[in-house]
Amino acid sequence: MDFLFDYISVNTFWTILFTIHALLAVALLGALTHQAAAVLAPPRVGEAEGFVRRFRSVSAPSYAAVVCLLWVLAFIFGGWIYAKYRIYVRIPIEQEGFYKTLGAFELKEHLSSIGLGLLPFYWYLWKNAANITYASTRKWVTIVLAAICWYTFLAGHIVNNVRGFGL
Amino acid sequence: MNTTTDTSIPTLSPWGTFTLVFGICFAILYVVCDMAALPLFTYHPGTDRIDLGYAPARRDEGPAMYWYGWLASSSLGAAILSVLAALLPDKIRSKIPLALAWVVPVVLLPVLIYSLMFYWRW
Repeated sequence: MDFLFDYISVNTFWTILFTIHALLAVALLGALTHQAAAVLAPPRVGEAEGFVRRFRSVSAPSYAAVVCLLWVLAFIFGGWIYAKYRIYVRIPIEQEGFYKTLGAFELKEHLSSIGLGLLPFYWYLWKNAANITYASTRKWVTIVLAAICWYTFLAGHIVNNVRGFGL
Repeated sequence: MNTTTDTSIPTLSPWGTFTLVFGICFAILYVVCDMAALPLFTYHPGTDRIDLGYAPARRDEGPAMYWYGWLASSSLGAAILSVLAALLPDKIRSKIPLALAWVVPVVLLPVLIYSLMFYWRW
């Protein structure tokens, strides 16, 4: 990896990794929100065409594999930059006394891990999308993952606003 | 997509049981590892040092990180329990409530928030 630093600075390298992590998170958030809307409030027969109907009319099963892939990739990039965060971001935030911000980020770390553990079962439920006996569990597992994703996205955004990786 | 047709009682294949039990056990073990300080290893990012189990931060070497170790501990524990659950007879496997997959994370949320009490200073 060191050869990269002949071309870009160390800060640029970590900022690129962080940006990839953030973009993966945006894609994951969009996919999970569409899927959660589709299971929570499926379009009604005869409902007028419009943004809301189109938003929740997606084919939810087709999102499952992409959601798993994006979650894992975002998690890997997040775990990679986490070591740098611990030294170069968290310590200055501690010194500033922004403890609630740190707490929000700690909760993000816990919830995203629990979400990661849920992914195999989530994938199994959507792989068997035709089995209606899984419908209720499938719906709630999807909603829980979407809620975790929203929280982690917002908490990460807040921490980045307080002190992100600088160029 | 699998085109399994409807059945009155939700049943899981051994792989399905593995994934369900893994999700439940991983969440519980993760919280236990966090609250009881049980990482499989400790990472010191300042020096790239790795210690087995829990190790406090070393003087002049920066902070210690336990999150990677918690993930490893809870993954290992959950994988072992999930394999055992998948080996159970159908009759017993079918009694594991599917709803635990999402109820457990929801129930653990207040526990996690409480575990972070140190940070909620006003």
